[in-house]
Amino acid sequence: MMEYKLINNDEGNASTIKCTNDNGKVKFIPVDPANTDYQEYLEWVAEGNTPEEAE
Amino acid sequence: MVAKINADVTNGVVITSDTSGELELQANGVTKAKVTANGLQDANGNSLRGGMYRNLIINGDMQIAQRGTSSAGEGATEGFKTVDRWNYTTGGTATDGRFTLTQDTADAPKDKGFGYCTKFDCTTADTSIAAGEGLIWRTKLEGQTLQAIKKGTASAEQITLSFWAKGTAATYAVELHDEDNNRHNTQKFTITSSWQKFTLTFAADTTGTFNNDNGASLGINFWLHAGSNYTSGTFTSNTWATRTLTNIAVGIDSFYSSTANEFFLTGIQLEIGEGASNFEFLPYDVQLQRCQRYYEETDPDGRVGLHGYIKQTNTKGRVFWNWKVKKRSAPTLSVGFVTAGLFTLRYGDAGTRNCSNSQVTLGLSTIDCCTMDIEIAETMLSGYGLTCDVRGDLSGNTRLIADAEL
Repeated sequence: MMEYKLINNDEGNASTIKCTNDNGKVKFIPVDPANTDYQEYLEWVAEGNTPEEAE
Repeated sequence: MVAKINADVTNGVVITSDTSGELELQANGVTKAKVTANGLQDANGNSLRGGMYRNLIINGDMQIAQRGTSSAGEGATEGFKTVDRWNYTTGGTATDGRFTLTQDTADAPKDKGFGYCTKFDCTTADTSIAAGEGLIWRTKLEGQTLQAIKKGTASAEQITLSFWAKGTAATYAVELHDEDNNRHNTQKFTITSSWQKFTLTFAADTTGTFNNDNGASLGINFWLHAGSNYTSGTFTSNTWATRTLTNIAVGIDSFYSSTANEFFLTGIQLEIGEGASNFEFLPYDVQLQRCQRYYEETDPDGRVGLHGYIKQTNTKGRVFWNWKVKKRSAPTLSVGFVTAGLFTLRYGDAGTRNCSNSQVTLGLSTIDCCTMDIEIAETMLSGYGLTCDVRGDLSGNTRLIADAEL
């Protein structure tokens, strides 16, 4: 089960998604439609899930 | 028979005529080249088609393996595990079968010019095959690299896939998957315990153009194991059609049928036209750079210095990581390590400070670079310079990873 959390850039816009998997492994996904991890994230959102908001 | 022109050391030029429609060029009775309906060929029947980068596949000779050279216990999850640009998928349903995946040198066909091959070694058999199981070894190609195929137009070209394979005797399938138009074309091949070059020419497809962009347009899928979701239909060789899952792998054997099973593969080339030319060997540095468009990591055994500044007084530093090669897309970023990442910081006159991966946030990923923000609750002033060493040289093998794979 993946957990997603938004990370804001210096201007306060969500530009990165922090993804943590079951094993605690972390990866940082850019907001880029050509990125395959971002495509998976969009599918996860389309299934009705919501990421944790940025701090 | 075949017509011949022979440069004979005794009689000079000797011409032998016939009506075969083919011609051999000989040096003192030894055939050096052929002219056939498929074009110019060498003495072994390989196309003499020339041109740099005619092989549309990257790392077809398996020589680049940035992620590692061996991975055991594979089969449950999918992903890129050893050689660059090639990964495996499971078909969607977990299998009990397991294998060790290796960038192998010992069994590589060195007499054919290949120093590496990929080796699949079955370590756990699975003879109870669920419907959705699969084992697919694949690579994906960007649409913008495939435009010369002219797919989807009246001028569409044939394309030829060639590769070297051996292993425990079995019949497997290779599928070309047009991901833009949900179409495919599949052919089967039968391996033996000896290295063999397979040449499969695929028909031109006048339906469905490839997108001219950096997305995945064509998958080359080697099917080594499949459940009924992929085998219960009708197999039609070398015919483009709307992708029907049940038709893909009809009649193939299962790699997981026995722990005695092995499969070796290298020299994979996809080129425009009928017939295969000799494999296009690229220098190591060129092949590495082509792979780094999709994946790059800092040296896991060395030390890489990144430079930046104190971003927030007493709180946060920022350094920049510039890629060696511009990426296909903005890459996903991560920190690789064995137990915990280790970074060494230097700023002002404070000497050195170590921090771990838990203090690091990677972001602002672009096709050129990214930032790494580091939480460091120390006395420091914003605007001053900061350096950060990524300490792959220590036991943790800390490395930064940028992944823009398809």
